[in-house]
Amino acid sequence: NPIVLDLAYNSIDFPSIENRM
Amino acid sequence: TVEDLFTSLNRHIHRSEYEQLSEYDQVVKLADQVLAVVPGDEDAIRCKVVALIKDDKIDDAVKVIDVFAKKFPVDFGFLKAYCLYRQNKLDEALASLKGLEKDSATMLLESQILFRQGKMDASVDIYQKLQKSKIESLEINLVAGLVSAGRASE
Ligand SMILES: [K+]
Repeated sequence: NPIVLDLAYNSIDFPSIENRM
Repeated sequence: TVEDLFTSLNRHIHRSEYEQLSEYDQVVKLADQVLAVVPGDEDAIRCKVVALIKDDKIDDAVKVIDVFAKKFPVDFGFLKAYCLYRQNKLDEALASLKGLEKDSATMLLESQILFRQGKMDASVDIYQKLQKSKIESLEINLVAGLVSAGRASE
């Protein structure tokens, strides 16, 4: 069977912390 | 100060985009330093969990999520669902997706879970709905789903 790419992984991002600096 | 720690965190997060895996260790370390001062800090815990996931330490990420969620009212939502998927706990992963807003991230994950469960038509359905969203490499998964569903002619 063909495999699927883990495209969901690309949606995982660090939170924006600019306002905490 | 906490502000200094977040400034360092930000620097290491940006460096990690240029693929130095060791940066993720630094992010975890700095996040822990923030959490030592502010135990329920949501930004810090999210930085830590994301760094662990990106460093492929999925079991560690789940442990951190579970311990934290017992003490503080933070919903890890998609991150938890994604970790469960990576641990091949597919029913649990689907269940934790249920309460989340439908967006391209949750739809992609749902489709990948359904694919692993052998529910090819349902998986393909989601990719077809996402086609207008211009997601990179989506067609690779769509074709894989169609072939697996015996619908290669489509
Ligand atoms: K990276």
